[in-house]
Amino acid sequence: MSPIREYFQNIYDAVTSTYKGMRVTMRSFMKTNGFRKIRGGYDYGAGPVTISYPEIKDDIPSISRNRLFMHQEGCIACNQCAVVCPVECITIESRKKSEDENPDARTPAEFGSKPVKLKLLRFDIDEALCCFCGLCTEVCPTECIVHTTEYEYSKFDRDNLIYDYLNFKDENPLPKG
Amino acid sequence: MQDFTSPQNEETVGLKTEELTINMGPQHPSTHGVLRVQIHSDGEIIRAAYPDIGYLHRCFEKHAESREYVQIVPFCDRMDYVAAMSQELGYCLAVEKLLGFEAPERAQAIRVIVSELQRIASHLLSVGTYGLDMGGFAPFINAFRDREHVLRLFEEICGARLLYNYIRPGGVSRDLSPGVIDKIKDFVKYFKPCLDEFNELLTYNSIFVSRTTNVGVVTGEGAISYGFSGPNLRGSGIDVDIRRDAPYSGYNKYEFDVCVGLGERGIVGDCWNRYFVRVKEMYQSLKIIDQAIASLPEGEAMGKISKSPKPVGEIYMETECPRGNLGYHIVADGTKKPWRVKAKSPCFIATSSLDEMCRGMMIADVVSYLGSIDIVLGEVDR
Repeated sequence: MSPIREYFQNIYDAVTSTYKGMRVTMRSFMKTNGFRKIRGGYDYGAGPVTISYPEIKDDIPSISRNRLFMHQEGCIACNQCAVVCPVECITIESRKKSEDENPDARTPAEFGSKPVKLKLLRFDIDEALCCFCGLCTEVCPTECIVHTTEYEYSKFDRDNLIYDYLNFKDENPLPKG
Repeated sequence: MQDFTSPQNEETVGLKTEELTINMGPQHPSTHGVLRVQIHSDGEIIRAAYPDIGYLHRCFEKHAESREYVQIVPFCDRMDYVAAMSQELGYCLAVEKLLGFEAPERAQAIRVIVSELQRIASHLLSVGTYGLDMGGFAPFINAFRDREHVLRLFEEICGARLLYNYIRPGGVSRDLSPGVIDKIKDFVKYFKPCLDEFNELLTYNSIFVSRTTNVGVVTGEGAISYGFSGPNLRGSGIDVDIRRDAPYSGYNKYEFDVCVGLGERGIVGDCWNRYFVRVKEMYQSLKIIDQAIASLPEGEAMGKISKSPKPVGEIYMETECPRGNLGYHIVADGTKKPWRVKAKSPCFIATSSLDEMCRGMMIADVVSYLGSIDIVLGEVDR
């Protein structure tokens, strides 16, 4: 290729590839120029992809694994969740019930009405340690420990992330069930 | 006036030149993680580049010795956090092989679907950030837009966006719902034009082509002797793919081409060819997902397997991850916990080629080479 031809070829290549790139950018720009309504969830390429987060929240699937929650009335203190946890973030303490402590107690029907043989003294989950693997929710025989879709729970102090589910208190209390 | 440039000048005669040592990283945007490269440079020319790894070491192998087989799966996720599904798949296949167990057909098909979706997500991150390293911001944004769709699909499939813990020894933790299957079909339909658009935007862009062609050329023999695998090896023109050559998880049922660097631009084995193998593989992944969904068998998603298996023996299992061949070597002694788990990481091998490849390069080309071998430091350090 002669030098002159190469020179003009380079200019031609630069102009065409810039044009092609800008055409793609322009197409996306026209597609997402803000006239379309912002919708959550799936919207393949039809509208804007970004959402203005604190005002508009994205739809999260109900199976999404976020903060853990334990329904106190369903727990039979079997300790399986604490054993299966790979990072050992669940602490459970229990003792045998004395005879005057309602020996025939059962968990509510939605938690499988299993007999409660032990008295639960402590149920702490360190959410700072939790790795959100979901193994504890799968082994639970009464399905009382669940992952919620709550993900906005940052705290100023790491100790505040240790949740005591026997006296559960939070700024945004969760609906039961 | 004094002339400092002239060699005859008496003030410059006694001066000696020496190599300049530069630290690239660990907080450098184009090292894709916490990699530190100690560069000895002579002007712009690199004389030596020593990669310094270990900033992300989290004792995966030691942890695995003190956990049960099922509990190790979340740790596998955290090795290569960009392609966690593929890491799980390799580990679970190794454990199943050790137990002499085969997952149900539906579980196998689901595993293929999710691991190919994961390949798309991982390659999108790789090529998108490569575009960013080469100075183009739009490809990066485009790639992340599409990757987001895959991550949303994963959230719907298994409840997590990045660290799934979805594939278990014995099957998968949850079945695909019909709604999700439709969404995956929608995604395949949506994504193909996006890839063509991406090619227009980045692959054939003349600036990108001139930054990446004829840079960091790894010959076929060189790639084999380094121990490269996956897209890095195929970019050098070697036609090897475990999915085709030693099929696992029912990959033999699907038709797909093994993408090899052909030198459409530049020469075979350069950065551009390694990059383009990844783009071509995304098309093939779409093809595999299409077939897997069309022939998704009915049945159980989780086989009947003990919750805490106690295998005996020794196994080495390699799978084709987005970054290459990931191998798990498990030694089991008949207890609930493995005696030893060793992971052979393709990224570690790719990192080890850095010094030899970078000698004689310009500093700006190191970024190009680093991006094209697509390393994830979580997997290098484990």
